Amino acid sequence: MSKHDVAVVGIGQTKFRSKRRDVNIPEMVYEAVKMALDDAQLEPKEIDAIIIGNMDHFEGINFSELFCGIEGAPGYLKPVVKVATGGTTGSSLAICGYHNVASGIYNKVLVVGWEKLNEGGATTGIITAFDPVWERPSLAGALGPLALMAGMYSAKYGITSEQAAKVTVKNRSNAANNPFAHLQMPNITIDYVMSSQMISYPLRLHDVCPQSEGACALIYANEEETKKITDNPAWFHVVETAHYYTFGTDEAMFDLPTATIASKKAYKKAGIKNPVKDLDVAEIYEPTSWSELSWTEALGFCKPGEGGKLLDEGITLMSGEFPVNPSGGVLSTNPIGATALVRVAEAAIQVMGRGEKRQVPDVEKALAMGFGGSLWSEVLILGKEPLR
Amino acid sequence: MSRKKGQKKVFEIKWKTNLPYRYSIGKLAVKFFEELKKNKKIMGSKCSKCGKVHFPPRAVCADCMVEMTIDDMVELPPKGTLEGFTVVNYPFTDPNTGGMRPFPYGYGLFKLDGADTYTMHFVNETDVTKMKIGQRVEAVFSEELIGDLTADIPYFNIVKEEE
Amino acid sequence: MDKVGIVGCTQTKYEADKIDQTYSELVFEVVKKLHNELGITNDDIGCVITSSNDFNDGRTIANMAIQDAVGSIGKAESRVSGDGAFAYIYGAMRILSESYDTVMVVSHCKCSEVNQYLVNNTIFDPYYQRHLGLDQISSAGLMANMYMNKYGVTEDQAAKVVIKNRKNALNNPYAHLQKEITIDEVLNSKMLAYPLKELDFPPFSDGAVAMLLAKEDVAKKMTDTPVWLKGYGSCTDAYYLGHRNMTDLIGLELAAKEAYKMANIKDPVKEIDVCEVSENFSIHELMIYEALGLCAPGKGGEFIEGGETEMNGSIPVNPSGGVLSSNPIMANGLIRVAEIALQLKGKADKRQIPNAKIGLAYGMNGICSQGNCVLIFGGE
Repeated sequence: MSKHDVAVVGIGQTKFRSKRRDVNIPEMVYEAVKMALDDAQLEPKEIDAIIIGNMDHFEGINFSELFCGIEGAPGYLKPVVKVATGGTTGSSLAICGYHNVASGIYNKVLVVGWEKLNEGGATTGIITAFDPVWERPSLAGALGPLALMAGMYSAKYGITSEQAAKVTVKNRSNAANNPFAHLQMPNITIDYVMSSQMISYPLRLHDVCPQSEGACALIYANEEETKKITDNPAWFHVVETAHYYTFGTDEAMFDLPTATIASKKAYKKAGIKNPVKDLDVAEIYEPTSWSELSWTEALGFCKPGEGGKLLDEGITLMSGEFPVNPSGGVLSTNPIGATALVRVAEAAIQVMGRGEKRQVPDVEKALAMGFGGSLWSEVLILGKEPLR
Repeated sequence: MSRKKGQKKVFEIKWKTNLPYRYSIGKLAVKFFEELKKNKKIMGSKCSKCGKVHFPPRAVCADCMVEMTIDDMVELPPKGTLEGFTVVNYPFTDPNTGGMRPFPYGYGLFKLDGADTYTMHFVNETDVTKMKIGQRVEAVFSEELIGDLTADIPYFNIVKEEE
Repeated sequence: MDKVGIVGCTQTKYEADKIDQTYSELVFEVVKKLHNELGITNDDIGCVITSSNDFNDGRTIANMAIQDAVGSIGKAESRVSGDGAFAYIYGAMRILSESYDTVMVVSHCKCSEVNQYLVNNTIFDPYYQRHLGLDQISSAGLMANMYMNKYGVTEDQAAKVVIKNRKNALNNPYAHLQKEITIDEVLNSKMLAYPLKELDFPPFSDGAVAMLLAKEDVAKKMTDTPVWLKGYGSCTDAYYLGHRNMTDLIGLELAAKEAYKMANIKDPVKEIDVCEVSENFSIHELMIYEALGLCAPGKGGEFIEGGETEMNGSIPVNPSGGVLSSNPIMANGLIRVAEIALQLKGKADKRQIPNAKIGLAYGMNGICSQGNCVLIFGGE
C-alpha cells in the first residue's frame, strides 16, 4: 500500500524497426514522447520530472539523458534522471517513475526508454557488461548464456525444440495485431522456425529476439491528477525487483529464481493467489522462445517443467485462459533500453481496453515482467482500479 | 550495409574510437594468475563462515557478506562436470580485441570438482551430438603459461568415457 | 512531507589510484563498515540504490559488478546512472512511497581505470561536438572566461576558492589531497584552458561512499542523531553549451529555489549553517554561491574575499575540502550528503561547524552543472 496511488495516463511508442535511419536519437525519442503527451492531452510544461534510460555503451554516448532528455523530451529546466540497469532498464524506469509519484515528490512524471543500438554494436556492448577477466574472453553476448540455459532446461524436463518453436509462432503471429511491433509474421509456421539456422545450440535464429530501434514513453500521475486527465487509467498495484549474484553462473539458474522471488512477493502484496486465475493477461520478457516456457514456470503460472504443457494446452494463446504476450513480446520487438518498458505499456494498454486487434477480452489485471543483467527480474502488476 | 531497393542512400559517417581501460582485478585474481603461471594451479576462494568454495575466486561471499582474502584461497583440480553446453555459431566483434571472434566455438557451463559455483569456458568440441550433460571435462594448459586465462587454458576437453 | 532520516554513512579514503582493489571491493569496504558501525546485517536493509557510470567503470550495466558487495541477493537493487545525490533522492522516494523501511544508497567511482578526458568527451554528441575534443576542462575554461569577463571577477578571487578548500581538507581524514597551497602556486600553475590553470581543477580520485536511510520511527530507533530531509530541488539546464547562459547557473538557481521553498528557507545565509557543494573548478564555486542566492549575481568573488565562506564565516562552504580536494566523479554528490550528515550529527571532528542544524548539499551531473540536485537537511 503506497502513499499515493499511481496510474499510467498516457502511452507513446514508435513503430519499432531494425534501423531508424530517418531520425537521430532525440528525434526518435520525441516521437514517443509527443505521442504520450497527446494521448494524455498534456502540455510539455505540465510534466514535473523525466526519467529516461537506455544502455550507454550501445550508442556510445555518456550521460545520454542530458542529451535526449533535453533535445527529445521536455527536460529543459526540469528534473531529468537516468536509470539504467541493462535488460531490466525499461522496468527499472517504470519502477523509478512509480516511486517518484507514489512518494508524493512529483505529481506527473514522464518515463522514457529508448535504444538505437544499431548505431553501435549490441552483442559487443553486452559482452562488456561482464567481468573483463573471468567472463568476457569466452562470453558470446547474451545469447551464449541463454543458449546454455535453454539446453539445461530442455535436458531436465524434456522440453522439445518444437515446443519452443510454438512460442515464436504464437508471439510473432500475435505481433501482426500490434501496429508497433517490429517483426510481424501473421503466417509464421513451426517449420519456418525449426528450419532456421542454428546460431547457438539449441537456439535457432528464430528462437531469439531481434535487435530493434525505437522508444517508448509513459506518463504517470497520482490519483488527484489522474482524475483530471482521464477516466480510463491503468493503476499500479505492485512493483517488485529481485537481483542475484554478480556472476550469473554461480548457480545453474535456468529456472530464473529471481522471477520466482519477485513474483511471489508481488502476488502476496497484490492479493494474487493463483496468477492464471486472478490475472487476466501477462506481458513477460522472453529473450528466447525457450525462455518463455521456462519463465512461465518461474512466475508461477504452472509447475516446474510444465511450461511446454501450458502452451500445448493453449492456455497462453490469445484464445486461451491466460494469454501471454498478446503484443508479440520480446521475440517480436527488442529495443533493449525500452523493451521492459514496452511490457509495462502493453500491460497498461490491455487494462485500459485499448489493445484493439490485440485486446484480450475483459482485462481487470495485467502483469508485466522485466529481465536482464545477471539474471535479474522485475514484476509489475497493473489493474483497472487502484489496489485496495 | 545493405540497402532496400529504391531507398535513398543515407549520408553516413563511420567513427571508431579506442577507449582503453586499466582494470584493477583485485588481490585474489592476482594470486590466481600467479599460481596459474608459476605452478599450473587453478585456485578458488572459500568462505571462512559458510565454507562455500567460489570459482572464480572473489573478495566477497555474497551469502554471508564476509570478506575472502588470499589466505582463503584453495586449490581446485582442473577437472569438472559439464552442466550445460552450446556451440556458438554467429559473428560478433570481440570487445577485447576489436576484431571478430572466430566461430563456431564450443562453450560450456561446468563445476570444477570441489567448487560450489559454476563457471563458463571454451570447450573443445563443435559437434553438439558429441556433447552431453554430465560429461567430464578437463582443462588443457598451454605449453607456456603467461598469467592470462584464455592464453593459459585455451579450452576444456571432454574426457572420453572409458569403455 | 514525511520524514526520511539518514541513519549513518561511511566513506573510503579517497586516493589517486586504489590499484589493489576492484571497485566492487571498494563498495564492499563501505558497505561492511556501514553494517559494522550501525550494528546491522544485510537482512536489515530493505533495498539498495546505487549510483555509477558505465563509461567510468568500463562496464555496461556497471552495477552488475557490485551485486555481491551490496548484498542484493534476492533483494531489490536499482541503479541511477548519474551523480550520487540523485541516487540519494531516489532512495528517499522509496521510503516516502512507503515501500521500504530502510534503503541503503551507495556510490562509487574509480577514475584511475580510464582516461577521464576521453570519458568526458563521450558526453558530447557525436555529430556536432565530439570531434571538437570538448571535455570538462575546455568547457570550464569557456564558462570561466565568460563569467569573469561579464562580472569582473579576478583570477586572485578564483584562487581563494582553491586555497580555502585545500586548507579545509587538512581536517578531513578521507580527503585525497591534503596539502595546503599558496596563491602563487595556483596562479603560476600550468594553463590548461584559459583562464583556468591546473590547480583551478580538482584531482581525479578513487573512492566510494555508502549511507543508510530509514523511515522516521526506524531511524529514531537506530540512531540518536538522524538527519532529516527538509528540502529537495532538481533542474536540468540546456545540453548544448551554446544554448546555455554561461555566466549564471540557471539550472542550479531554479533547483535551489525549489529546495528552499520545500524547506521553508527565505534567507539562505542566515538560515543555513553549512554547505557542501560540488565545485568542479575554482570559478565554479563562485558561480554556485550566486546561484544558491548566498550573494548577488557577479558578487561571488567579493563574497569569498569577505571570508563569508570560510570555516568561521557566515556560511561555511565545503568544510570537507570539496571536490577540489577529492574527486571520485560519480560519488561527489553523495559525499556532499554524507559530509552534511556528519556535520548535523556533530560527528565531523576537526572539520565540524559548531551547532550545525541546517545543511545544504549540492550534486551535479554532466558538463558544468547541466544537471543539478539540491538537498536541504535538518538535524531536528
